[in-house]
Order: sequence, then C-alpha cells, then structure tokens
Amino acid sequence: MPEQRITVTIDEKGQITAKTAGFQGEACLDELQSLLEDLGTIHEVKKTDAYYQQNAIKVTKKQTVGRT
Amino acid sequence: MSAVVKTVTPFTQRDLLLEALDELGVVYHEKGNAIMTERVDYYGAQCFIYEQGAYRFQHDSSANIQSYRWRQLNFKEWKTVSAFLGAVEKVYHQAYERLQQRMAAEERRRLEEERKRFVEQQKQAVIQRAKEQGYNIKEIRKGNKIQLQLVRTTY
Repeated sequence: MPEQRITVTIDEKGQITAKTAGFQGEACLDELQSLLEDLGTIHEVKKTDAYYQQNAIKVTKKQTVGRT
Repeated sequence: MSAVVKTVTPFTQRDLLLEALDELGVVYHEKGNAIMTERVDYYGAQCFIYEQGAYRFQHDSSANIQSYRWRQLNFKEWKTVSAFLGAVEKVYHQAYERLQQRMAAEERRRLEEERKRFVEQQKQAVIQRAKEQGYNIKEIRKGNKIQLQLVRTTY
C-alpha cells in the first residue's frame, strides 16, 4: 500500500522545514499548507522532480484520452 | 585661574550603596531617607541623604583635611571625606558590575526559556494537526533539532 510521508524538522529557533514523499503533484503543497498554516511565514518552496513527473504523467494521460 | 572639578559617582541604587558600605565594614543605620554612618564630625553623624534621585553625602565641609578633629572615627585610612567617598565609590562600582552581570545572566535565562517554549509550541501544533489528518508520528532528536516523521498509508 502506498505511503505518504512528511518529514518535519524544527530547529532550535523554531524554524520549520518540511519534506514530502509519496504525494502526487500539487497535493503535497496542499498537505503542507494545512499542516503548517499559521506556524510561520513560508520562506522557500522547492519542488522536487517527483512533483513535476507526476504533473507530466497527468498531462500525458489527458492527451491519450483526447486522441481516442 | 582655572580648575577641574570632578564629582563622585552618584549613588542612585540604595541596595548597592548598602552593599558597598557592608563590604567596607562601615557601621550604619537607616533613618528615614538617610543612611547614618559611624563617622561623627563636629555637626554629628555624617550621612548619605536621598534627594533628587541619588544619595548625597552630608558632612562638615572642613572634614576634608588630615588634621580634622573627629568626634568619632573608626577608620584610620579614610580620615578625609574624599578618601572615604573614594573607597565607597570603588566598591559601589564593583557592586554595580556584579548587578549588571546578574541581570545579563537572568535575561539570557529568560530568553532561553522563551525559545524552548516556542519550539515546543511549534512541535505540539504540528503533532496535533498531523494526528487530525491521520498520520502516525515518530519524534527523533537530531542535535539541537527535532524531527517529526509523519507517515500515512493511502488506499
């Protein structure tokens, strides 16, 4: 069964870094938004390769459905 | 003719002044807003009187000579008012430095407590939300950092 994983690191000043794995596309950002809302102003967002791969797969499927 | 006048440090902190007098071994007693010392000149006990935000030393103005005829004086090394106030000033400064160090240490402690409280608050908020969203949570300490591993199985 697929797993969704978030690793949250809180440093000594209270700054939070969160890394996701197992989410599809923008779902990871939505999940982080609800988890970290009001806990601090977001300073940096880095989208990993998985984020873009999932989005590319979605687009390809749509095109395939459109052709048939 | 020109002159340079230098005043003694104003003794603004009562507790520090008393600490300085204790350290010098000066016998005194408090009377209203005055600290009466055992140095007795022609006009009576020399004293520190609190006025306009500081303790000022009240004494016979002639009592600043080595040959002054004291009614009572227990300290041979501080025969003159200048010598006495110089000694009090020196010890008062040291007491003031100690107070500054104590305050800095207390402030550091307070900031540290505040920091720890904030980090704990952040952690608890993440844990609470993660539980509500169905995650299993594992907490790991990595040096000064806290790591929360949130895992959820999707079906």
